[in-house]
Amino acid sequence: MADDDDAQNQISSTFPPPPPFWKDFTPDNVARIKDLKQEQVERDAADHDPASIRLAGLPHNLRFLQPPLPPDAGAWRVFGNHYTLNQTLPKLDGSGIQKLFPEPEERDQDGKHFDRATILKRLAKSLLLNFLELTGILSINPAEAEAKITDIRDLFLNFHHLINEYRPHQARESLISMMQSQLDRTRAETNAIRDVKEKVERLLEGLGSLKMDHESLGGATEGGKRREDLDGELEALLADEFP
Amino acid sequence: MGDRLTQLQDAVDQLAQQFVASIHYINRHHSLETLGPGDQVRESNKEPEQNEVDPHPADVFKAAQVELAQDLITKEQQIEYLISILPGLDNSEQDQERNIKELEEELKVAEAQRQEAVKERKEIMGRLDTVIRSIRRP
Repeated sequence: MADDDDAQNQISSTFPPPPPFWKDFTPDNVARIKDLKQEQVERDAADHDPASIRLAGLPHNLRFLQPPLPPDAGAWRVFGNHYTLNQTLPKLDGSGIQKLFPEPEERDQDGKHFDRATILKRLAKSLLLNFLELTGILSINPAEAEAKITDIRDLFLNFHHLINEYRPHQARESLISMMQSQLDRTRAETNAIRDVKEKVERLLEGLGSLKMDHESLGGATEGGKRREDLDGELEALLADEFP
Repeated sequence: MGDRLTQLQDAVDQLAQQFVASIHYINRHHSLETLGPGDQVRESNKEPEQNEVDPHPADVFKAAQVELAQDLITKEQQIEYLISILPGLDNSEQDQERNIKELEEELKVAEAQRQEAVKERKEIMGRLDTVIRSIRRP
């Protein structure tokens, strides 16, 4: 009966409810699958990460706690849309647009991208020149402007295509700079902690030597007065180190 | 403000808009000419906004043309500059991957050092704590 109700809700509500297997994620089950994975690791006597291990023949109520394998074909569906693992940029050739740059294999020797920059600059200059020509044609015979407008459109589309081709490269480049800044931050933090540590160590050493004086003096009969002096000294030292 | 590639893309789109805007301005505000001595410019009694062509005075029109042309050149130069500062033009994909791997290793080392430093800090704090507690006022 409850299953029927669930199915009914799934169809009628605007936003679908979570998949029914969410109920399997109880603390007990989560703990159990963790134990099972740990056992499997020990049985294999291999030192791989328990999180990455896959268990075969799980009981029914634990089956959903193991994430599914990545799709073999590289394609999957979510909310009725198709997704693929490798998102390819549509080629210019097939869309009836004149291609104004050489194939990737023919440019950018040694994998560097100077050629791309040159091509982009050339396209930018061509855009201006073509616009100049367009205004000229418009002033003489507007009926013939159609071809020029197509040229300009092609130039723009080519430009965008080259830009989008470069996106993966830029993404990697951003990752590099982010990692670099994180590295710098971590190192700075480590150094700051070390600095404080050294400071405190120096302070403790200072205290240690004071204490020794203190003890040697404390035994003397006139120690009472001296003690106060020493405490004052200690406070001055502390204030000095930790302003 | 996005990354440089997006800035470049936006700049190119703006250039296209400027093309359209320039042509629109010239189309709308040019002056009217006669083709022969027998012609004359017909007077229109509509409001200036409703006319197909709303001529601007010669000097204003000229100045606007110059400004539009200068803007186009400026935008084009911006585009070229953006192209020249695109990140990683001199890195190949292999370079990048090697770079990323190296950074990953360095990050692991640095993180371990940080953890160690944190531990040392805790220790020294504990020592400091005991010392401070052991100080008694006379």
